[in-house]
Amino acid sequence: MSTIHAGQAPVEILLQPLGIDQARGRQGMLLLIATEASLFVVLFFAYFFLSNGDWRWLQQEPPQITYALVMLAVLLGSSAVLRWGEKQVEAGRFAEARTAMGFTILLGFGFLVLSAFEYRGHLKHLTPQMNSYGSIFYTITSFHVLHLIGGMLMLSYVLLLPRIGRTNRPPHRAYSDAASYWHFVDIVWVFIVGILYILPNLR
Amino acid sequence: MDSAVLEQKLVRIWEAPHTAQGWFSTVDHKEIGRRYLVTAMIFLIVGGLEALIMRLQLARSEQALLTPEAYNQIFTMHAMTMIFWYASPVLSGFSNYLIPLLIGARDMAFPRANAFTYWSFVTSGLFLYASVAFRQAPHAGWFAYPPYTDSLYSPGLGMDFYALALLFLTISTTVGAVNFIVTIFRLRAPGMAISRMPLLAYSTLTMSFSAVFSLPALTVACVCLELQRHWGFHFFDVAYGGSALLWQQLFWFFGHPWVYIVFLPATGMVSMLIPVFSRRPIVGYPYVALATVLTGVVGFGVWVHHMFAVGMSHMSMSFFSAASMTISIFSAVQVFAWIATMWKGRLVLTASMYFALGFLASLVIGGLDGIVTAVIPIDWQVTDTYWVVSHLHYVLVGANVFPVFAAFYYWLPKITGRMMNETLGKASFWVMFLGFNLAFFPMHLMGIAGMPRRIYTYPPGLGWDGLNMTSTVGALILGVGILLSIINVFWSLQQGALAGKNPWNADSLEWSTDSPPPPYAFVHIPTVRSRHPLWDDYDEEFDPGDQRVYDQGRLTIASSLLDAEPVALGKMPEDSLAPLLLTIALIIFFSGALAENLWIALIGALAVIPAMGYWLWPQHEREVA
Repeated sequence: MSTIHAGQAPVEILLQPLGIDQARGRQGMLLLIATEASLFVVLFFAYFFLSNGDWRWLQQEPPQITYALVMLAVLLGSSAVLRWGEKQVEAGRFAEARTAMGFTILLGFGFLVLSAFEYRGHLKHLTPQMNSYGSIFYTITSFHVLHLIGGMLMLSYVLLLPRIGRTNRPPHRAYSDAASYWHFVDIVWVFIVGILYILPNLR
Repeated sequence: MDSAVLEQKLVRIWEAPHTAQGWFSTVDHKEIGRRYLVTAMIFLIVGGLEALIMRLQLARSEQALLTPEAYNQIFTMHAMTMIFWYASPVLSGFSNYLIPLLIGARDMAFPRANAFTYWSFVTSGLFLYASVAFRQAPHAGWFAYPPYTDSLYSPGLGMDFYALALLFLTISTTVGAVNFIVTIFRLRAPGMAISRMPLLAYSTLTMSFSAVFSLPALTVACVCLELQRHWGFHFFDVAYGGSALLWQQLFWFFGHPWVYIVFLPATGMVSMLIPVFSRRPIVGYPYVALATVLTGVVGFGVWVHHMFAVGMSHMSMSFFSAASMTISIFSAVQVFAWIATMWKGRLVLTASMYFALGFLASLVIGGLDGIVTAVIPIDWQVTDTYWVVSHLHYVLVGANVFPVFAAFYYWLPKITGRMMNETLGKASFWVMFLGFNLAFFPMHLMGIAGMPRRIYTYPPGLGWDGLNMTSTVGALILGVGILLSIINVFWSLQQGALAGKNPWNADSLEWSTDSPPPPYAFVHIPTVRSRHPLWDDYDEEFDPGDQRVYDQGRLTIASSLLDAEPVALGKMPEDSLAPLLLTIALIIFFSGALAENLWIALIGALAVIPAMGYWLWPQHEREVA
């Protein structure tokens, strides 16, 4: 089994110049989103388990739905703006892209303000210490708020970066990676509205 | 160009400076892998000493060596140390060291994240052991069932140390898993299609996916426990609509995949070394690879078998019982592939192979009594008895410690550059194997005789005394066996024969590097034409035009997922203190949470922001002449 020179040319493609790899950060971000997504799946499982297998929580007063829907509109709007921003990055219009990102962060602040109002109203009827429903309700929503703040920090960081387009210097594709995380946080809110707000109101 | 000149240039690019700052900022996967291995072995020794203390207490009936409180803390610390801070990190250490070399890359996909996983692993372990200084170690076993772990029944800091240390370690393990996945997906040498990937890469990949999807359940469980203990939340107390079973569901949804996390990479290592010592390729490579992946997948569908005794519908019990038996099919595929490989090959009985054979024997015993335990009426009979202790030690010691020792005897010559003493190694194996079976086989009988686990002492005359004494003697012998191998390591460092590049005439790429490998690993990034790069007649580093040297900075080749066609050059980061700074921010956060001091916790959480910012900020690369 001794090694002998086979004399073959190395894989031909190597002779061509290779660009700088931009995909590892992307894959890392997708896996981060995957593990965060399973975090929320587990939280929803806990919510379902504590309800004794009924998503409607019949013994509890259903939550007010208005704020949640407004917040949903804010977040979906922010995702749309950010998606537009991603297109601008691809087209090389970085000033527009930065504006879109700044606007997304503002909408994130809007969500936080709304969620403070929502909590203030909600806490009058239900506190996390009252029963298991309150505990899991506030745990899920506050986990989401924490992830949202994390997303806002990511976006703000990208806004500070000297270059946001394709660059040979890491972080590559920072704009679209941070945007993916933001879209993920938005999708989680869609599920929260559906499971925590709408389902209990369907009786 | 002259290869000596090339090598010097690559060393200048890749080597971390030999200074204190260089030591703390290195991102070299080989250095990090070495640190992982040493640290995990220290945890093994600490956990082993805790086990010996327990065995001395239980050697005879009504001993008073330990108070009940001390006994509870020791068995819990033993379990946590072994399961979380030894069994998984030691495999991460091997994978860290070996995966880039095996796939022909110069480092992991995220070298700084890799450094961070080590720092946070060791810091979370120190955090856990700080509880011993407060004399308030966790005391509720490794699965910490509420309501016992609620603040009402477990006041003090013990369970807080448990939850926070695990949360900390979870971060480390998740980051490590993501890193392994991207490394294996993206950095394989050109030509190493997934059909040619070494089996250790398959098992590390499966283990990493299991970690990514199962660890969040532990995170949620520990966060809920802390919220209930300190903030008046109600998740696990029935009086407020909670459910103690919620903890069990969450914990075991994480816990059973974890069993495969500490088992699969070990099977991967055995799949690497058995063919080498049988002097032939492994039998049924695609089946072994598939069985590995399927074990990881089905591993998510068996968690309820830890809970058969809590009462549930026949339907779900039957489902999980069937799934638990199904999973043994995949292990059996691997076992038969190993046996067939040895059967068809010419055996070279090195010390490493002895340990691999010991692993096979104990895996079969542990696997078979696992199948027995998956039968529900038997489970009801033996649950929470020493039967289960015996089963889990056969599986964990058998399927983790023995493969790890096999791997040490196999790969230490690569890591240190010196051979181990074969005679001492074989002696160590026989002593360990004898001690192991003497210690744990009687526990089957104790379990059938009704001895519950986690009791700190027992009255005489129940027929348990002789078995317990045997078990204690066995545990001491096992300890001596491990000590022999530790002596062997130090002997080899001093006097071992120089290993050379490929002392075992093995087939995988790491053996084409020097022993120990230089910081850049390969002068020419290898290209691969078969499943056994060093056994075929193709020279992986054949590169007369020096086109695959890539000495313009820290570079390695990135390749496509399935066929591993080169698609880009991966730029690797410079050394950095940021991973250490991030770890310090996190330990501040967790210490604040432990002390219930929100200001300290907030400072820690806020400190994460500049640490991450510094980490990711684009930097000018070091210029290399």
